[in-house]
Amino acid sequence: MTTLLHRRYTQGSLRELVNDAPHEPATLTDDHRRSLSARFRAVTSGEHRRLDAWLVERAGELSGTFTWNPVTARRLVGNAAARRVVARPDRSLRAAVGDEIDDQLLRVASGYARGGSLAYWLAGLSEPVRGLVVAEALNWASSTLEAAHHLDVAWSVASSDAYYDVAAARTTLRARRDLIIGSPDARVVVRLRSGAPGKSAGPGLRADLTIEALAEHEGHAPSRIIGLWPDAGVCLAVDGSMDDLRAGARDLVRTAVAQRRQRLVLAA
Amino acid sequence: MTQTTTQSPHSVVEALRGKRTARPRVDATSAAGLRGELEDGIYKVFGSTTPRHPVIVRASSLRQSHRATDLALSRTGLLRGILVSQLLRLMSVGVVVEHAFDDAVDTLRGEGRAIDLLGHLDQLDNEERARLATDVTAHAVTLSRSMGEMASHWTPRTAVAGYQRLGGGRVELRDVVDLVIGSSEGGVASIVLFDLTTSPLGEGAERVLRYHALVHTLKTSIVPWRSAMFSSATGELWTRDVDFEMLARSVHEVLAVVEELGSVS
Repeated sequence: MTTLLHRRYTQGSLRELVNDAPHEPATLTDDHRRSLSARFRAVTSGEHRRLDAWLVERAGELSGTFTWNPVTARRLVGNAAARRVVARPDRSLRAAVGDEIDDQLLRVASGYARGGSLAYWLAGLSEPVRGLVVAEALNWASSTLEAAHHLDVAWSVASSDAYYDVAAARTTLRARRDLIIGSPDARVVVRLRSGAPGKSAGPGLRADLTIEALAEHEGHAPSRIIGLWPDAGVCLAVDGSMDDLRAGARDLVRTAVAQRRQRLVLAA
Repeated sequence: MTQTTTQSPHSVVEALRGKRTARPRVDATSAAGLRGELEDGIYKVFGSTTPRHPVIVRASSLRQSHRATDLALSRTGLLRGILVSQLLRLMSVGVVVEHAFDDAVDTLRGEGRAIDLLGHLDQLDNEERARLATDVTAHAVTLSRSMGEMASHWTPRTAVAGYQRLGGGRVELRDVVDLVIGSSEGGVASIVLFDLTTSPLGEGAERVLRYHALVHTLKTSIVPWRSAMFSSATGELWTRDVDFEMLARSVHEVLAVVEELGSVS
């Protein structure tokens, strides 16, 4: 049986969700990985496939090409700024966002940024639009740090998302994560989302859970994965049980199938 | 305590923050009661029937009756409002606005939202565009003169959205507060909600102040300290300290809107 916990997002509820997480989460073995790989290989694809929770929630519906804008940039800049504040608490969040953007611009000036990257895009912006990026990143970082300050256990701002390349299936899975709480063996992962959760938020979290477990070298799933929707004041959580991992894997494969069908329809 | 000033204060930011020692303790207990009252009221309106589409309540629903016409809600009026709000976002993070209209349009395009309003902007002839530019610049001057400098450690959040689904999804409260300062940490109330309007302040503005406070309370379960509204048309600032009575009044106002909109749908 899968789990889906629903709580109002308050100072106490997030702490409770973290503290009450199951102590022995499930572990994915090599057999699980091989089985998943076989299933993805059965869904042929002409090009490299990239799947994440967002696609699972949209049943594989193809969206337009990715473009940078202040909203798509806010998470990267905001989380980087939050990490800076954690490392140097004497800096204000606004100053940390400014520092992060300056660093990105420096990478472009020194020739380390490639075309299409965040740094490259930031360098081409006018001053007002860059100001808007600061405003959006500040919103994001504030929400991240406010969530973290509710906790009474060790936490860190994730330095990257979790990625897993499915062997010989031309498929990359990506799980977003913003806060990692506790030790690597018994970790709780928090993901921040804007807006309000839809009906498919649970499957989205399960997909994140499965990818997070696959990306861990020993296959240990997080004890719990928590989705936070600060705009709606809601948090949803999924436990790291084998049933939830299986459901997450099934949804990812289904998404690949749905995506392939859509491509075939478009091609016809 | 209500503070009403008929003139633009020396600094809006100073007026908003007030003295730290005068702030009340955080109220984290009122939200549940308010939610219960809203749920009861919604049940009285709909009973067990479910409307085809959820009734959506926004701040603009409280500003005026849906049967009335407000020129500020015309497409040009909305465009002016959204452009001035963009400038507030820039000022809040310390950007010096030199060319108000161009900077605001630049940010609106860069944001990639409000596509229909940008389409409307592109359709304006030179005369209408020049009139809008002058208008936006005048509002920006009033705003920049009044705002004052915001300390960077206040972590201003701009265009902060709020959603609340009530009555089993029959009603949705939606809100966007232009600027939120302060933190929910600590035992003292310190969150200030600030709304900017390009219209003169009127009776509807008071309802909007209360609505912002109510949605924030339902969303975070913490009662904000103050709710404020500034008119860049007149330079007036209205500030209200949020208390339970104010929130309860907003509950009744929201229920009246739900009843009105529910009967229409």
